[in-house]
Amino acid sequence: MISRGISSALLDRGVAPLLLVPAVLLLVVILLGPFLYMVWTSLTDLSFALPDRDGNFLGFDNYRRLMREDAIFWHSFGLTMKFVAIVVTLEFLLGFTIALLIFRFVQRRRLVLTLLLVPMMLAPVAVGLIWKLLLQGDFGMVTYYLRLIGILDIRDALLSNADAVLPAIMLIDAWQWTPFVTLVMLAGLLSLPREPFEAAVMDGARPWQIFRDVTLPLLRPIIALVLLLRAIDAFKEFDKIFILTGGGPGTATELLSIYVYRLNFKNWDLGYGAAAAFMIYLVVLILCAVFYKAVYWREGRPRQVTS
Amino acid sequence: MSRGWRSFAIGVLIAVLVIALIPWVWMLLTSFKSRLDALADVPVWLFKPTFEHYPTVFLDKNYLPLLWNSILVASVTTALSLLFGVPAAYVFARHDFRGKEDLFFFFLTTRMAPPISVVVPMFLLFTTFGITDTPMAVILAHSTFNLSLVVWMMRGFFADIPREIDEAALMDGHSRFGMFARVLIPLAAPGLAATAVLCFILSWNEFLYAFVLVAFEGRTLTVGIPGLVTPHGTLWGQVAAVAIVATLPIIVFSIFVQKHLVRGLTFGAVKG
Repeated sequence: MISRGISSALLDRGVAPLLLVPAVLLLVVILLGPFLYMVWTSLTDLSFALPDRDGNFLGFDNYRRLMREDAIFWHSFGLTMKFVAIVVTLEFLLGFTIALLIFRFVQRRRLVLTLLLVPMMLAPVAVGLIWKLLLQGDFGMVTYYLRLIGILDIRDALLSNADAVLPAIMLIDAWQWTPFVTLVMLAGLLSLPREPFEAAVMDGARPWQIFRDVTLPLLRPIIALVLLLRAIDAFKEFDKIFILTGGGPGTATELLSIYVYRLNFKNWDLGYGAAAAFMIYLVVLILCAVFYKAVYWREGRPRQVTS
Repeated sequence: MSRGWRSFAIGVLIAVLVIALIPWVWMLLTSFKSRLDALADVPVWLFKPTFEHYPTVFLDKNYLPLLWNSILVASVTTALSLLFGVPAAYVFARHDFRGKEDLFFFFLTTRMAPPISVVVPMFLLFTTFGITDTPMAVILAHSTFNLSLVVWMMRGFFADIPREIDEAALMDGHSRFGMFARVLIPLAAPGLAATAVLCFILSWNEFLYAFVLVAFEGRTLTVGIPGLVTPHGTLWGQVAAVAIVATLPIIVFSIFVQKHLVRGLTFGAVKG
């Protein structure tokens, strides 16, 4: 009974926040600690490849080098930005269109969604593997049909063609994540109130006008949310590319996370690698803050985009 | 809207479903193909199935422990995240204290943190603990993002329960702990179950932490996958068998959580 008394006391107003301690403690030790260590490392010359570079303090030299001298970093940064911009746009347009079609024409939505969601439930590593099999140069199923309809040259393969490989990976990402956009946008469509639509019909609005002047404005918060969540995720993309190309051919698909992986685990240049890793963290943190302030947080209170 | 439009839309949706499903189905077919059928120049859709790849890779090549590790890591991560996260979510839903929303934002950032930017120091930390290359290392790493998922999702589910229920339970003579354990938890049970399944899925599917933190003994299925792909002579039948075992349970689980999937993947901002 004593332990129950203590538990009850813990749940009492004044001390209830103590229940947060285990969760916060775990995150501080396992995540925040390593993160702070990484920030410290980024200010040193720590390397596991060169014996004399055992963590001498450099100040901001790594960051200066990264910003001013590292052409590959900027190449990766540019690729990543291109990747994020294109996949998020593509996935949004496709996903929203599919959501509208399902909303308008399908009665048994759960069944359709169950099938449609399969790609996004798969481990990204498995997705990479599946498409590696489909795109094999000599026996890949998709390669065969692309050649059959004349899109792909007989000696060409998507994953080893430096010009085609990034668009191919973008399409694979769209294959995996378009269902996510559909799922969220459909939830948004289903949650819309009826009255504005009835009023618009009474006023004699045409379907296109209703879509532009009623549906889209009502969906704006949810559109912002889905774009941001996809952008954050796409910015971190690693698994699929790691399996499909490892960043190659050359550096044609070396997005930021792959470049940081190479700095740390191939070159063992931990100090410099930490500085590059921090740049990824910074971008994600900014996107996160935008998500929180613009989408989740409204007028001083957390809110639900739909109810 | 005319019939023609309707047929056209249904046709488009069927095409979308075919494109969504064929790649995985092709992997499934490959896992039952002989080496000759798998490597044929012209894609083989109909063939005499062989069942040799599954026993070969899981028994002879010893991939069974990887399956066990995947189950272990995902289960313990889920349990740990719920144990720490559910009480925290309750506090966020029912109590006010200074810095509450800042702390909530901290949880969000841990959920979104790019693994690539913390995995190196995490590896060094776990080396100091002496737990690298054990499932424990992966469990702790996965708990970081799943814990925040639990806090974010369960806060919403607790907030959905009217506060009057709390008061009624206390009036009925429940202690505060009794109210939490016997009244609120059962009311939040469907959400709790969905959260648990989603935690399991996210841990099961994770790659980068697991790949860096374990090399041999603690390997999970996702970590075992790249090792099977070699520049030449990849045994695609066996690769496919591993990929199917790594994905089929998740596809089944996702059917159970579909109702709450939207909420889980949008941090509670959209209710499904």
